[in-house]
Amino acid sequence: MINALRWIVFAVAAFAMNFPILVTLSTSFKSARELSTNPGLWVYAPTLENYATVFTVSDRLNIFLYLANSVAVAALGTLLAVALALPAAYAIGRGRLGERTLLPFIVNLRAVPLIIFAIPLYMMFQWLALLDTRLGLGLILTIVNLPLALVILVNAIRDLPGELDEAALMDGATRFQILTRVIAPLCRPAIVTSLIFGFITAWNEFLFGLMLTTSKAVPITVGASFFFAASGGGVQWGVASAVMIVGALPPMLLGLLMYRQISGSMTAGAVKG
Amino acid sequence: MTPLSPRAPSSEFRLLAVPLVLFLLVFLGFPAIVNLVYSVSEVSFETLRRPEIKGFSNFTAVWNDASFWQASWFSFRFGLLTALLECALGLFLAIFLSPLIEKRSWLMAILMLPLMVAPALVGLMYRLVLHEFVGPVPYYLWTWFGANLSFLGPASAFWTLIVVETLQWTPFALLLFYMAYQAIPKEIVEASAMDGARYRHRLWYIELPLMAPTIVVALLIRFIDGFRVFDNVYVLTGSGPGGSTASLSIYIYEAFFKQGAIGKAVAASVILFVVSFAVLYGLNAVAARRKGVAR
Repeated sequence: MINALRWIVFAVAAFAMNFPILVTLSTSFKSARELSTNPGLWVYAPTLENYATVFTVSDRLNIFLYLANSVAVAALGTLLAVALALPAAYAIGRGRLGERTLLPFIVNLRAVPLIIFAIPLYMMFQWLALLDTRLGLGLILTIVNLPLALVILVNAIRDLPGELDEAALMDGATRFQILTRVIAPLCRPAIVTSLIFGFITAWNEFLFGLMLTTSKAVPITVGASFFFAASGGGVQWGVASAVMIVGALPPMLLGLLMYRQISGSMTAGAVKG
Repeated sequence: MTPLSPRAPSSEFRLLAVPLVLFLLVFLGFPAIVNLVYSVSEVSFETLRRPEIKGFSNFTAVWNDASFWQASWFSFRFGLLTALLECALGLFLAIFLSPLIEKRSWLMAILMLPLMVAPALVGLMYRLVLHEFVGPVPYYLWTWFGANLSFLGPASAFWTLIVVETLQWTPFALLLFYMAYQAIPKEIVEASAMDGARYRHRLWYIELPLMAPTIVVALLIRFIDGFRVFDNVYVLTGSGPGGSTASLSIYIYEAFFKQGAIGKAVAASVILFVVSFAVLYGLNAVAARRKGVAR
């Protein structure tokens, strides 16, 4: 009896929280004609024409460019963040370096309103000609990803027994060698988690994409809104829905495949943050 | 903690942290200095590279700007209300659904799905959901109840945004609480059952106190994220109607990009910078002291 109630609560919660995704998915399969008569959830004559429109390149809209930009900047922002965080995490976790300065500062970055840095970064990028480039946006996303990557990696390194390092030191290894040959391979699960989590975070970022790109390096979160103002006469909701589904799908699939790792890393960030 | 070998030179560790520190200095240190200099300067898009120091007039301009205070108040209320709602809902769901999720962890994947979608896209999705002609919510409300609500009008825009944010981020609280609930040692629960404690007493006197630290952390994280909200609010209402839904992040963005008021935007950034770091370091200090007491 109580279990039936639990299932009902689950169904209601899952439906309510995923409601915008369900509506958008359903609308993306509606033809323009059906849209004008049927705003409900059910699709009577599903069609793929909206997706065909989305994947047609026009002078103004190029979804392939936006997706490629998102892939490039998310990859750069994630790989660079982990590459910077791993050696630092080793120094913090093992060398007890900056445990009370560097670590709390970077962890606090996770909580600071990012707009604070956005304006000077905009000016700086103007001087450096990094505005509207994938490199520029990728570098900023690195900052966004650093806090969580560092926390996850520091925790992972602290969990490794210190005898590993001692033994390697006895054999005459340098700290750098220990990091690359001993620590990094053992931390692979934590590294993978921070890569997945970083990729999702970077893919979903909007503010910096909006401020720092205009055409060449526009990511999909910003590019999707271009489809809302597409062809003169009001929003084509079917097309707009299709582009939102395309933009939301990669992180959703990653999330569904890797939800165990992701849930672990979210709590890691929370406990330390 | 790991005992350090006396041979281990800390200079090697320093070297390993150098890339990260350099990166932070370039991409955060430099912008922070620019922020400070420009906040006390006369500057426009034409004189971007030659700011003229002129004192604190940018700060007084922000201080006397009614919309700055309106945005601060919006951010504060938005952060507080969404944090409370998300944590209350998340706590209920985590405890009530845990017998289901324990056996089938894929249920959690479904509940977590909203966290994977960009808040900006979720905001855009609600433009569809709430649209008066093609949106299902107004449609069903009208056909079933004959109700005709304006979700993004002056009276209701704030509450609509609260619901949008809460529905997307409740899963985050749910996830944290579920983890904390699972981490409660089974022996404690069994022992209390042996002693004849009723379920609701067990919940109130044993389980919830054990989860209290997680609840505080979740409230804090959700408040912070609600306070600095930008993406979903920006795409859903802009800052309207009449600036009533401008968060501090949106206020700074619009001062810079829409009004070209660089000095004002930068001064507001500096204020936000100082306040947030002061609050965060204060919280760190409190947390550190509590940990010390516990030991």
